[in-house]
Amino acid sequence: MDKRIFGALGALAITLAACGGTGNTGASTAPSASAAKKADIKVGLVISLTGVGNVYGPVQKNGAELAVSRINAAGGVNGANLVLVTDDDQSTTDGGVTAFRKQVGQDRVVAILGPTLSNTAVAAHPVAQSAQTPVIAISNTGDGIVGKCSWGTCDYIFRASLGESTAIPQTVNVAKTKLNVKSVVLMYAQDDKFSSDGFAIFKKNLESAGITIKKEIAFSKTDVDLSTQVTAALAESPDAIVDSSLAGPAILILKEVAKKKPGQLVIGGNGFNTPAIIASAGQAAEGAVSGTAWYLSNADPVNKDFVAAYKAKYNSDPDQFAAQAYSAIYILVDALKRTPNVTSVLHEKLRDQIELTTGVKTPLGEFSFNSSHDVNQKVYVVQVKGGLFTQIN
Amino acid sequence: MDQIYNAIFIGSIYALFALGFTLVFSVLDILNLAHPALFTLGAFTALFAMQQGVPAGLAVLVAFVVCGVAGVILDRVAFAPLRRRNAPPLSAMISSIGVSLILIRLIQLKYGPDLQAYPAGSLPADVFTVAGLQLDTLRTVIIALAVGLMAALTFLVRRTRLGRELRALAENPRAARLLGIDVDRAIAATFFLSAGLGGVAGALYGFATNSPFSQMGLNFELKAFAVMVVGGMGSIPGAVLGAYLLSFGEVASLTFLPSELRDAFAFGLLFVVLVVRPSGILGQRAVDRV
Repeated sequence: MDKRIFGALGALAITLAACGGTGNTGASTAPSASAAKKADIKVGLVISLTGVGNVYGPVQKNGAELAVSRINAAGGVNGANLVLVTDDDQSTTDGGVTAFRKQVGQDRVVAILGPTLSNTAVAAHPVAQSAQTPVIAISNTGDGIVGKCSWGTCDYIFRASLGESTAIPQTVNVAKTKLNVKSVVLMYAQDDKFSSDGFAIFKKNLESAGITIKKEIAFSKTDVDLSTQVTAALAESPDAIVDSSLAGPAILILKEVAKKKPGQLVIGGNGFNTPAIIASAGQAAEGAVSGTAWYLSNADPVNKDFVAAYKAKYNSDPDQFAAQAYSAIYILVDALKRTPNVTSVLHEKLRDQIELTTGVKTPLGEFSFNSSHDVNQKVYVVQVKGGLFTQIN
Repeated sequence: MDQIYNAIFIGSIYALFALGFTLVFSVLDILNLAHPALFTLGAFTALFAMQQGVPAGLAVLVAFVVCGVAGVILDRVAFAPLRRRNAPPLSAMISSIGVSLILIRLIQLKYGPDLQAYPAGSLPADVFTVAGLQLDTLRTVIIALAVGLMAALTFLVRRTRLGRELRALAENPRAARLLGIDVDRAIAATFFLSAGLGGVAGALYGFATNSPFSQMGLNFELKAFAVMVVGGMGSIPGAVLGAYLLSFGEVASLTFLPSELRDAFAFGLLFVVLVVRPSGILGQRAVDRV
């Protein structure tokens, strides 16, 4: 079984190498072929529609498809239609690599958005890099995704998803200056990469801000109840409880805290920034603080327009993953419009234009890339007030 | 004191989950790995009912019946054909994994993989204080219900005609049939009770967290299994005892030791129990299991 898969991958790799070779010679013929009617521009989307990441993949697909249909309805990219090629990475590294190989070798897309999970990205991005196809990561928040990549040169890789290492320092800063927090208890899910990474970033920034960490409490992301941990945390009477976890444990913590000590300040990472927190924790979510790349009730006109269009099409509120996928399409289109006669093989010119991205208006706010291809956008520190995320910085 | 209350609550949830697991195992020697899926189904059945305006108490009853029926169907589809062909217990286990995956996927198709919430205001949210101890209505009701259900199940197995039939079946299916017991009916009753209990546990746990999601049952599987082994495979009081032992172990380690060591301590405790009593606290070798 394994041998067969390797065989197939090997064959794919050979095909890919062959395609890469002929690609350059095709460059001169492609524009003339599309002279009569402008050829479609294929954009790849590799996301987790199955497996553990399928919480995020479907909304990313919604966000990207909404952007594409709106751009095409408004005349496309300089008259050419945008076509989205979507493949499932199955939330695995193998699935991501296979999907990337298919998109660069067979579909010959101009650029790829994805994959959903960071560890899949580390495996799949090199495929695009070696085929010189630009990638915009839309949901990878881990370290080593852009700039100095662990796997080698990654000058074709960009990231539109705000990492926790950028968001958390802002949150800590607001906690210190605006909310006057002097001491905290730090809680985190120790068996989850997102949560334990966030824990390390929180710890570093809290310490350097001179905030006392009275106690660290580890729990498991599969814990069915966190009342014990919350009781222990409240016994330290901190100014704030800081929780680095995904939404599930965060809801348990918020509910316990509200029951045992109403009004206790709780600060979280990006796991807090989902409507599920407010829907499930209800009144208990009031006052919760987190730093984020996007929030639903942001009154910025571009965001309001996006939220309304999303709701009209899918009959539900978008989340951050939908907003980032939607924004990435607009960021890419902005660069495509500046790249004359774009075809599937002018990747280098497209890459140069993506690098020049500045002040693109997206639901995330004005968006640019910094010199290491990472997000340059405003971080919104939000607090739940009256059942809505409200910006406090 | 607060922590003891916490431990009792967690233990009650573990015990409710493990009971259904244990019941099927004790009577039929099958490890029903679809139990977590039935647990999830219970939470979502209650959610569906409450979205139609059914009050929470009634929704738990609906979850009991719907999951009970689902359990009987599960037996007919996944276990009965294997039983007829004398397949080894391992085949039944694999078959139950299949059902579990299908059931969870179906729930995902209807509700998606995200966290859900029960309709606002449909669950009691008040907190009251007894002798300086902060209790909330919801958890206290859940603890009372869990203890009540455990008592009811024990009564049913020990004192009723159906219970006698189940015990006869557990001891020897062939002899039970020869004695004139309607074995098929008894098996159906076992699955109905087991799945119904699982469904109630799911609905109650869903209420307690107010964030049911499609994978919620999986978090319990390993712990329920451990609880069952420690209590004595197939022993109902054993499962209850094991559940409270695990929850008190977890809470004690969290109170007195660094939090990172919790699972190591709790499971270490269970390990010690098994070294001292390899067949579990109340485990007996097939003599008087139920």
